[in-house]
Amino acid sequence: MTGSQSIWPWKLLLAAILIVMAAGTWGAVNRIDYTWRWNRVPDYFLYKSEESRKIPFDGWVEKIISVGSTSTVSLVSESGEKVTVKVATNTVRVSESEDLFEGDTIGFVKEWRLGPLTTGLWTTLWLSAGASVLALIIGLLTGLARISRNYTLRGLAALYVEFIRGTPLLVQIFIAYFFIGTVFDLSRNAAGIGALAIFAGAYVAEIVRAGIQSIPKGQMEAARSLGMNLFQAMVYIILPQSFKRILPPLSGQFISLIKDSSLVSVIAITDLTKSGREIITSTFATFEIWLTIAAMYLIVTSILSQLVFYLERRLAASD
Amino acid sequence: MIKTSNVTKIFTGRGQIVRAVDGVSAEVAAGEVVVIIGPSGSGKSTFLRCLNGLEQFDEGHIVIDGVDLADKKTDINKVRREVGMVFQQFNLFPHKTVLDNITLAQKIVRKRDRDEAQQKARQLLQKVGIAEKEAEYPSRLSGGQQQRVAIARALAMDPKIMLFDEPTSALDPEMVGEVLDVMKQLAREGMTMVVVTHEMGFAREVADRVIFMDQGKLVEEGTPEHFFTEPKEERAKTFLKQVL
Repeated sequence: MTGSQSIWPWKLLLAAILIVMAAGTWGAVNRIDYTWRWNRVPDYFLYKSEESRKIPFDGWVEKIISVGSTSTVSLVSESGEKVTVKVATNTVRVSESEDLFEGDTIGFVKEWRLGPLTTGLWTTLWLSAGASVLALIIGLLTGLARISRNYTLRGLAALYVEFIRGTPLLVQIFIAYFFIGTVFDLSRNAAGIGALAIFAGAYVAEIVRAGIQSIPKGQMEAARSLGMNLFQAMVYIILPQSFKRILPPLSGQFISLIKDSSLVSVIAITDLTKSGREIITSTFATFEIWLTIAAMYLIVTSILSQLVFYLERRLAASD
Repeated sequence: MIKTSNVTKIFTGRGQIVRAVDGVSAEVAAGEVVVIIGPSGSGKSTFLRCLNGLEQFDEGHIVIDGVDLADKKTDINKVRREVGMVFQQFNLFPHKTVLDNITLAQKIVRKRDRDEAQQKARQLLQKVGIAEKEAEYPSRLSGGQQQRVAIARALAMDPKIMLFDEPTSALDPEMVGEVLDVMKQLAREGMTMVVVTHEMGFAREVADRVIFMDQGKLVEEGTPEHFFTEPKEERAKTFLKQVL
């Protein structure tokens, strides 16, 4: 066997397999009765809303000044009070010196609004970010406790990790919201972030423990023999080296966290998944919305893994 | 400078009890170079590691510069500042450059400012002969260069005593010389040194005193001339026959 085999036949095969799979899916979908409405999807990201502007009193229109696409309508009440209202020029429904009653529509204002998919994505992002930071702190402390010389600390950390890894996240979210949330009067967001952070923290703890234990003992001995105390040796010598090693599994954990955050929709937090369900109940565009949401999760996690990849390359300077 | 009396270190594991260091009493005067030799597993490295508290011993006393390590009130970190250690595996910090390796402990343990620490580091790198490598990471250095950096790192703390734990055992043969030269220079400058080594040539040339250990016990000690030419103990004779 020669070492330098050309790779292009395999690329061709890969492309062929993907095309066959796509064609198969296409054919299967065409056999069922489903009307695709992809054109409606962008509206769920960003849409232009029309809001009516109404006259707040009985009165008449003094004058209308149109500048480009906006018109300024001046209104005067029966008691002489003056008000100006700005509306879009092509939606003006009144003319100058027309008499109006309170609540009559003068025109409409068009505004860009964020759609439910965008707000849902934002909720998912800050929920995951908050939970990640907390998970990192919890995981670091628990990981250190796991390798502590103190029996009680070790035992507590081990119990925590065992309990969290041995129960489903969905159940933990229910417990966090319905039990702990009720006892301590937590908001659903606090319960959601807390449950995610405690769940991921247990896994981060194991990653941190393994990372620290993978550093050769000689590093700690060298640091201590220079007169550093345990804390200094950890902060300056052991943890920076471990960080480099645990970055890949850690980023995997945080990517899982983003995906797992979809479970908080069960306690009525309107994250990306919940937004999708809400859109579907009103539009029945089931296929489009779920595919779009899957793509959005994929984009977020891909960006994160690219960032980590970049960071890893930078940290590899000393190798 | 160092005075040990009846130091005993016991390892227990899998139902076996090993007396790795068994009642060793020895003294090292200021400025003296003491070389500890013996077959592998004789407890010489363990004994050396007891001297700066990397191993905790079970019985006896180790008094370093008037401070008893067996005393629970002793701040071991304070003692370690005064006792430099050089390891068989160098143990440089791989995530730091050569210069940072030498300045780090100066800054956080000795509380020196950056300029002072760097000046000291450059001066020591000059002394061990690798001034041009200060910006490199340890992984780009040869074994001999790494070990010289490790010596400079220990010296940067201005220790009163230097401990060497088989400093040339992990080196390629052609690099042993450069490390031994640095150690010889240190000895000439009057540093108090305790060296565990298999380099009999170094022991003969530099040591003021040789200690021979076997099975955790101090078997024989004396000047190099005495030890290498007319050892009293049978075990020392056998050992020398094998290594010389």
